[in-house]
Amino acid sequence: MNAGNPFSGFASRLKPLLVDLASRPGSSLPEAEFNALALELFSLQFQKVAPYRRFCEARGIAADSIDDWRNVPAIPTSAFKELELTCLAPTGRTTVFHSSGTTADKPSRHFHNSDSLAVYEASLLGWFRQHVLGDWDRLIEDERVGPLDQPGFIILTPPSNAVPHSSLVHMFEATRRELASRDSVFTGLVAADGAWQLDLDATLFAIRKSMCANRPVTLLGTAFSFVHLLDHFAANNIRYRLAEGSRVLETGGYKGRSREMPKAELHALITKHLGIPPERIVCEYGMSELSSQAYVRNACAAQASGGSASSLHFPPWARVRLINPETGSDALAGEPGIIRIFDLANVFSVAAIQTGDLGIKSGDGFELLGRAAMAEPRGCSLMPA
Amino acid sequence: MTEPLPNFFLADLPPGGSLTPAIVTEACRTLKRNRERYLVERNTASIVRMISSVASSWLDPEYPFRKQALAEGPAATGFSSETLAHGLDTYFRSITADRLTNLLEQELGHADRMDQPTENNVDREFDRAAIATGPELLTHITGGVLPNPVFTGIILGLLTRSAQFVKCASGTSLLPRLFAHSIYACEPKIAACLEIAEWRGGSTLLEDALFSESDLVSAMGSDETVAALQKRVRGRFVGFGHRVSFAYLTRETISGFSLPKLLRRAAGDVAAWDQLGCLSPHVFYVESGGKVTPEQFAEKLAHELQMLEQEQPRGPISTDDSAAIATRRSFYEVRASASAETRMWTSTGSTVWTVIFEADTTFAPSCLHRFIYVKAAPNLAEALRGADRVHRRVSTVALSAPEDRATGMVKELARWGVTRVCAIGDMQNPPITWRHDGRPALGDLVTWTDWENGG
Repeated sequence: MNAGNPFSGFASRLKPLLVDLASRPGSSLPEAEFNALALELFSLQFQKVAPYRRFCEARGIAADSIDDWRNVPAIPTSAFKELELTCLAPTGRTTVFHSSGTTADKPSRHFHNSDSLAVYEASLLGWFRQHVLGDWDRLIEDERVGPLDQPGFIILTPPSNAVPHSSLVHMFEATRRELASRDSVFTGLVAADGAWQLDLDATLFAIRKSMCANRPVTLLGTAFSFVHLLDHFAANNIRYRLAEGSRVLETGGYKGRSREMPKAELHALITKHLGIPPERIVCEYGMSELSSQAYVRNACAAQASGGSASSLHFPPWARVRLINPETGSDALAGEPGIIRIFDLANVFSVAAIQTGDLGIKSGDGFELLGRAAMAEPRGCSLMPA
Repeated sequence: MTEPLPNFFLADLPPGGSLTPAIVTEACRTLKRNRERYLVERNTASIVRMISSVASSWLDPEYPFRKQALAEGPAATGFSSETLAHGLDTYFRSITADRLTNLLEQELGHADRMDQPTENNVDREFDRAAIATGPELLTHITGGVLPNPVFTGIILGLLTRSAQFVKCASGTSLLPRLFAHSIYACEPKIAACLEIAEWRGGSTLLEDALFSESDLVSAMGSDETVAALQKRVRGRFVGFGHRVSFAYLTRETISGFSLPKLLRRAAGDVAAWDQLGCLSPHVFYVESGGKVTPEQFAEKLAHELQMLEQEQPRGPISTDDSAAIATRRSFYEVRASASAETRMWTSTGSTVWTVIFEADTTFAPSCLHRFIYVKAAPNLAEALRGADRVHRRVSTVALSAPEDRATGMVKELARWGVTRVCAIGDMQNPPITWRHDGRPALGDLVTWTDWENGG
């Protein structure tokens, strides 16, 4: 990518800002500064992401007709399935992230190159560290771990070379590479039908090793990968007690890959079978169409929560609005709304994203209520599968 | 505020009062005793008079049960008072003594078949007379929020002199209750053969008690619910699963002078009962090649829905339903910005109506609450190909065609499996003689006794 490219220019100015903001828990991006960056990015994306420009023009919006980031047209996540929402030329796309979802779906496609992956990683690393490993210094002070120890990860997904189109696994790989100890492992596999599975032996070996060393460990995975693990524990009556300071990062979604389980039940089973207390189970909310993630704030975070224990927080460079689906205006306090995000780290695609999820404001964050019905006209109970 | 209804039916009891299988069994036995005392010997003419009199009372703006339905209905059912009034008027206007008599003749070959052995021309050929008998206890398991299928079920049961137990889906008993009370006000003894109750479907103990007392169970609901119920009923069972409906408009009729009327009636089909019934349209297939294009038809339909919103506002809907519409609209907004083959018109600042135009003929299930697809079709065969995914699940097709094409098109629809073809504007208004899902209306309920050489 040439240095004169305006997107790379924007990205190279944004990265240090993200790193700086993420390194100072509690820091924020002033409204005026966020707005200026958002409008600058909108203007670039309007010019260079042709299908997005047509979407805006169909609404009668021109590049210079907006002075508030809230009025930037948000593109629905479903548009990533239909359109190529990227400023990258086909030859310049080195990576593409697909939405997970059932095999019958046409997946979302979020294109990247080295510059955009660098922004993605700058965005994800700092915020991950604050929420998943934010208490690490306290563990060192309490002599739970040595001053030079790095956290050991057991990642219940396949490794990134097996699933190169997963933005989640790219994230886990980046955090493993940058933040974790060298004996950290991925223990997931890809089955012949493409489904993700868990290598139980490898997982149990890694867990037992951490217990023998009395070393706090971080288990990372999707909800369904934990269900697989917990089913095995339940069937074999296994109840472990992982070293104090161990934690779980759980990210939502089952996508038909295992039986569904309510979150509270899943967390109770994690506590029962792994001995990890509820305040060390960190939930993450993210998607392939975004470059930033939201986390709950609990005992693992560097900073206390300004909402309930299940309230999610995006970083200062990604702002959330909840939109009343009936009126299209901001949802009133206490009312559910469709989650809309302006993610400055989505430099090379579209920053203003409307999700298919419903949430409700909670303190300075939001709580996830669940998915709105699928946008695509299918999945109706009347239809044969 | 209207007076609370007296506690006459189980559904009148305050919520929270718990029904037990013993109460259900006792209620069924009382119904059967009352039927023996008050209903079995009643003649058809008096039953028809009673029903038609109740129906015409419902059309009176001052009728207390109607007033109560319009006052309490919006909160209980989610329909606006205007939508309810329109739906109730359309329904009760169609229930007249003549039509009920026609129904008996159509179904049983003679209006007095339920009263005594009678003979029509065919019977005479065989030197035979025949009498039909209804089930002793007819049980209805209702599904969905529309009241008129429940009203029809009760009316059919009255014509067959059956004691009836109506089990309403949770939250839907208000209008059936009011209808039952209106029968009580007219003829308390007949209402004593009728029970209305409400509980959450799948309450196995209550349902088993009910089924073991029933001679015939008639159930509506999703295909899964109906199939599951059928397995649990040992006696006779008539089930109606979910169906979808659509409309087909030919190039000739949309290009004619009657277009404004057609549009008004098409909008009425979308708005009736907020599109929540199996007979409500998901898609309007509009034939291309006429003076008016399918796309223009869609735009005009949007205008018509906007006008109709003033007269018959859509009721408020849940956040989940709003979100489903909002999300679906976003999807089509994207598609419309990228392709001239998709267009969208929507109400502003609300989700009260949505029109999606697509050149593609694939049948798309609507997310309802007045969300309609208009799809261009070169001809009926192509439209049916597009609707392949709902083959055998279609109830009604509203058809607008010139005389010289209509018969051929109805034959084509019948061969494809459509069980009802009606005019645009009448989709949610089948006559009482309607053969629901292609089945006889009374024929499925009665048992015949043939008396040979006896006529």
